[in-house]
Amino acid sequence: MATATRRNAFTSMGTVVSVRADGAADVVARSAAVAASVFDRWDRRCSLYRADSELSRVARGELAMTDAGTELRDAYALAVAWRARTGGAFTPHRTDGVIDLNGVVKAVAIAEAGEAIRAMGVAGWGLDAGGDVLVSGPRADGSPWLVGIVDPWDRHELLSAVALGEDRRAVATSGVAERGEHIWAPTDGIDAVFVQVSVAAADIVTADVLATAIVAGGEAALDELTSREPVDVLAVRRDGTMAATPGWPRAPLGARTAR
Amino acid sequence: MRARAFVIASAASAAALIAGWQLGNAVTGAGTTVAASGTQPATSSASSGTDASSSTSSGSAGSSGTTSASAAPTTDSTTEQAGAADGTYAGTTVSTRFGDVQVQVTISGGSITDVTALQLTDHDGRSVSISNRAAPILRDEVLQAQTASVSMVSGATYTSAAYLQSLQAALDAAGF
Repeated sequence: MATATRRNAFTSMGTVVSVRADGAADVVARSAAVAASVFDRWDRRCSLYRADSELSRVARGELAMTDAGTELRDAYALAVAWRARTGGAFTPHRTDGVIDLNGVVKAVAIAEAGEAIRAMGVAGWGLDAGGDVLVSGPRADGSPWLVGIVDPWDRHELLSAVALGEDRRAVATSGVAERGEHIWAPTDGIDAVFVQVSVAAADIVTADVLATAIVAGGEAALDELTSREPVDVLAVRRDGTMAATPGWPRAPLGARTAR
Repeated sequence: MRARAFVIASAASAAALIAGWQLGNAVTGAGTTVAASGTQPATSSASSGTDASSSTSSGSAGSSGTTSASAAPTTDSTTEQAGAADGTYAGTTVSTRFGDVQVQVTISGGSITDVTALQLTDHDGRSVSISNRAAPILRDEVLQAQTASVSMVSGATYTSAAYLQSLQAALDAAGF
């Protein structure tokens, strides 16, 4: 951190948030500081790892959801709306009855942090919170943001890449390999078909929720949600085969290699 | 199949599909001799309701939908269809009161095995993809990239400890 670069990073929600922003070093630093304060607020409010968070008080029965603050109630309403929109594949209700907003809170924080950075007058920026990416504007040199998709079989390799732009500003990836505990299949005991699902969408909440929903809901959720929602999807099955929507970026024919 | 039924029902455009299909086929058929007897029976069954059109497509629901050779069941009545070469034919885009519709027909063994709506533009001019189904893709078909060419990395959420081992950390350190 001694030299001024165009990126910054901070720790929040048990992961690391990386910030990219166009402009001088202080612009990047201020962008990261604004993003960090947004993340911190949401973490204090909704983390189940913090005994003193508002959501932990709800979980212990000390606070009724209806008496909680507007932000928490809105986040819960958002999660419930997505439960309906995904036919239950995504749900904030844990099997033990606890309301878990992990599935939306990080995305909501990313979106809000992005808005805060935009409000500072920064046109081109990118946020990567633990593998969920939201960008705005072209990069300083006019090129689109190219985001790599991690290979679930080798996390030091990339499986694919997606260029983000106007109607695809966000990409999120869910998987069973790391932190799989926030994905629970509606049918208990059935192994997830997909080890990793990446969703590119216009906004980060849609991308994040649908990636989770498709991992949890399997092939049926993949078919149903891709036909209905304006998203591009790359799904990797446990057996190594993959499926992609027509809009997922394809390699040029000449560049393909026989394996 | 559930998704297909949903799409057709929720678009509330069974009429649009049928209209687009007929018009699209008329145009396509002129050039490819696809039309005639191959389309007529299917058209009449589709007219009876949305269930008919979703069952039309069910024969190849498991296939990628773009190639005709694979999973589509072939029928015995293939001989009269001399001019109907196997393949996938896109109709022209047709304006209906529901919006713009383009239909794609897959012919296999002389019979229509799949009918898909390729695009539907609503009245705000927004293109609504209603055939955005995921299909098999090979690893060397997806766009790949070198680590050096990407700005950020998307993957299953890593812990802050695992971040140190991640590609994202390498990119952050390198200043991409």
